[in-house]
Amino acid sequence: MARSRAAPPDDPVLKERFERDVLPLLPNLFSAALRLTRNPSDAEDLVQEAYLRAFRGFSGFEEGTNLRAWMYRILTNTFINTYRKKQREPVTVQEDDLEDWYLYDKLGETGVEPSAEAEVLRRMPDEDVQRALEDLPEGFRLAVLLADVEGFAYKEIAEILDIPIGTVMSRLHRGRRALEKALWEKVRERGLVSD
Amino acid sequence: MCPIDCQQALKQIELFLDGELDPSLHAEVRQHLGGCGSCADRSEFQRHLKELLKAKCGCDQVPAHLVERVSRLLHETPPA
Repeated sequence: MARSRAAPPDDPVLKERFERDVLPLLPNLFSAALRLTRNPSDAEDLVQEAYLRAFRGFSGFEEGTNLRAWMYRILTNTFINTYRKKQREPVTVQEDDLEDWYLYDKLGETGVEPSAEAEVLRRMPDEDVQRALEDLPEGFRLAVLLADVEGFAYKEIAEILDIPIGTVMSRLHRGRRALEKALWEKVRERGLVSD
Repeated sequence: MCPIDCQQALKQIELFLDGELDPSLHAEVRQHLGGCGSCADRSEFQRHLKELLKAKCGCDQVPAHLVERVSRLLHETPPA
């Protein structure tokens, strides 16, 4: 019987702390998992696997250090090691020829006033913005997701992804340019601006 | 010390909006944006873009059965 296999946790205090501090991260982790796996079923499995690994390793977590970053590191590692293999490869982005201010300037060229540019973006359906992010190459996607959606600092992203801060900055910069190009294409497809 | 010009300010906008500039440079960029409508427009646009991503890509509805699955996991798994 399932119940007889389910031995109670050795340390109830630890379990209580996990439930109090780590469980509330679930909604954000699920969104991140969706952006990474690009489908709800894999996202659910990824979140569940990450929680299992986190719970098993929680006794090694040093209290007072960065719990959110620790949990996102587990999520991204689980994704990279387990789920990435079966993912379709995202569209290759020729990011080198992308200029800074790409989207701002493109919107400006169509006659959208600076004060109205943000409004054009707000009118985009959620799924367009989600798809634009999800279609970025993985390194860019992770950097933009962790910085802009999850609000992590560069130093935290470097720790989560185990890469130097300079690489975080470069991926973030190039990823944002590539994202702006993808968003611009969505804006045009939706007819949110007139050519 | 000379105040920074538009080119210098725009180069720093990404780090400025990410809160990653050191305090003195952050203050210089802020001061420039306060007096330059064109750079302020660009900075505001990028700030809106960041907010848009957070709002549209980070607020998915969590299925109730996932919350249940994860909770059950904790009750059935002893920490190592």
